[in-house]
Amino acid sequence: MSGGDRMQLNARGGSAAGLMRLAGRTSWPYFLLLPTVALLFAFTLYPLLQGLWMSLFRRGLVVVPQVPDSIPVFVGLDNYLQLFADKDFVVSLLRTVLFVAVAVPLQLAAALGLALLLAPQTRFNAVIRTIVFFPSMISGLIIGVIWAWLFARNSGLVNYGLSLLGIPAVPWLEQDQLAQIAIVVAWVWGGAGFNMMILIAGLTAIPKDLYEAAAIDGTSPWRTFTRITLPLLEPSIVVVAVLGVLGAFQVYEIVVSLTTGGPGRATVFLVQNIYETAFKKPNQAGLAAAQSGVLFVILMVLTILQLRVVRRRG
Amino acid sequence: MTLFRSPGRIAAIVVVLVLFVLPPLWLLLSALKPQSEIFQWPPSLWPEHFTLENFQKTISRANFGIYFLNSAIVSVSSALLSVAMSVMAGYALAKFRFKGDTVIFLLIMSAVMVPLQIVLIPVFLVLRDLGLLNTLWGLIIAPAATPTGVFLMRQYITSIPDNLIEAARIEGTPEWRILLRIIVPLALPAIGTLLAFNLVWRWNDYLWPFLIINQQEQWTVQLAIANSIGRFSINWPRLLSMTVLSILPMLVIFIALQKTLMNGLMAGATKE
Repeated sequence: MSGGDRMQLNARGGSAAGLMRLAGRTSWPYFLLLPTVALLFAFTLYPLLQGLWMSLFRRGLVVVPQVPDSIPVFVGLDNYLQLFADKDFVVSLLRTVLFVAVAVPLQLAAALGLALLLAPQTRFNAVIRTIVFFPSMISGLIIGVIWAWLFARNSGLVNYGLSLLGIPAVPWLEQDQLAQIAIVVAWVWGGAGFNMMILIAGLTAIPKDLYEAAAIDGTSPWRTFTRITLPLLEPSIVVVAVLGVLGAFQVYEIVVSLTTGGPGRATVFLVQNIYETAFKKPNQAGLAAAQSGVLFVILMVLTILQLRVVRRRG
Repeated sequence: MTLFRSPGRIAAIVVVLVLFVLPPLWLLLSALKPQSEIFQWPPSLWPEHFTLENFQKTISRANFGIYFLNSAIVSVSSALLSVAMSVMAGYALAKFRFKGDTVIFLLIMSAVMVPLQIVLIPVFLVLRDLGLLNTLWGLIIAPAATPTGVFLMRQYITSIPDNLIEAARIEGTPEWRILLRIIVPLALPAIGTLLAFNLVWRWNDYLWPFLIINQQEQWTVQLAIANSIGRFSINWPRLLSMTVLSILPMLVIFIALQKTLMNGLMAGATKE
């Protein structure tokens, strides 16, 4: 925009205000927003409130007049109290927390390693980055299938590799902890490339002269890493960690195809437990809604904490 | 960034390649083996007998074509709908000041905090009340409004100069023509990016169809894959070939739009 234009706009009280006057008091912007707002209301905001409301009732998923237990009865916070005694819920919640605590740092470390390795802008690196990023293009379900096939006991590549080292076949998907490890491996693999790209963007933004100065001073690579790279990369690391935590709390799809929650219930996480409570147990929709409420509070607290951290640092 | 020097760097690159090339390649190679070879121990790293038998069997099963078609219809329609809605909403938020604009913007963005996973039950009831259960319409409409899409379009359209719009208004151009003839053509790069994202997201959707679709004729590819995984027995030749086929469209999109997708995702993620 040239200086003349800007003066003209300012004379009319700023460009946006000028636009508004020219547009008159039309309902046009509201009309433009209507489809988005309507759908978000119907499929996100209303269900959120409805879900919190439902969590205060004992009721069936679908209310059938002939089935007395399905008719909503107000129970206050009783569902939430019941959850603490519900072994399936408590176990799946703790398992999910443990999964988050293990998988997110591992994925962050993997993504950071990949980013440091592949950040220099060369054609070769660009090709490798593309390959590493590719899993981000496929669904969690497919990632689960790929790893189920790799971990297959008697035909899988993982056990074949181990057999070359003289290690007998490992029943990956048949023992509780091994199956949990398998889920972590598949999850880290599936998301590492996406997070690598976020970190590479962060690395590229670090001023080159800092590294030059460090090199002139003869600073060791490790010190350069801990004193320059890590602190300046922190905003990107926070983004990766937060997206990771939010995503890991909702882990489900990858489980469907990798272990279907088994062996036994060893890999049933929170979302699957909510789904099974609502759709597979009779008249426990209120309890399922309360579990969703717990998950919502966890996600919201974590999001707010993250915003705080980012704001304080940045 | 000199952390990795030559020998170590080469070794690291080899490890990365093995870790990221081998899993999908192993899937593809296994799908190309005859049934007897798939379960052979020790496994043949390279198929001894290449065959398309598994693919032929999968494709010739009458329903598979339908699943593919359902997925295609849903992803294309939902992506187009979503982009149209995002352009409209993004334009309104970028170029108009009106009562409640900030509130509406915050309301839309706050939906980021509510993933489908935590509203499964009430969403199921809403879908039922709207008569969208067991319809492809449900799969198209329900996921179409995305805060990410609105945000991307708003950011992009903000950079379009106001005086283009003003000039058109002075000439008496109707508002809808300004949107279609000025905003849309100028926002085409962002529209393309968003369209590609949406195609990928919708093609990969599992939870929505899982919630909405019950009847087999309406399964999408992802649902068909999930349903072919029994807890105790899996028809691997079929599952492997189906999985490879389900990845192909994403592979094509990825190869065609690789730069757009990788950099676009990055921008979106870091701005969130």
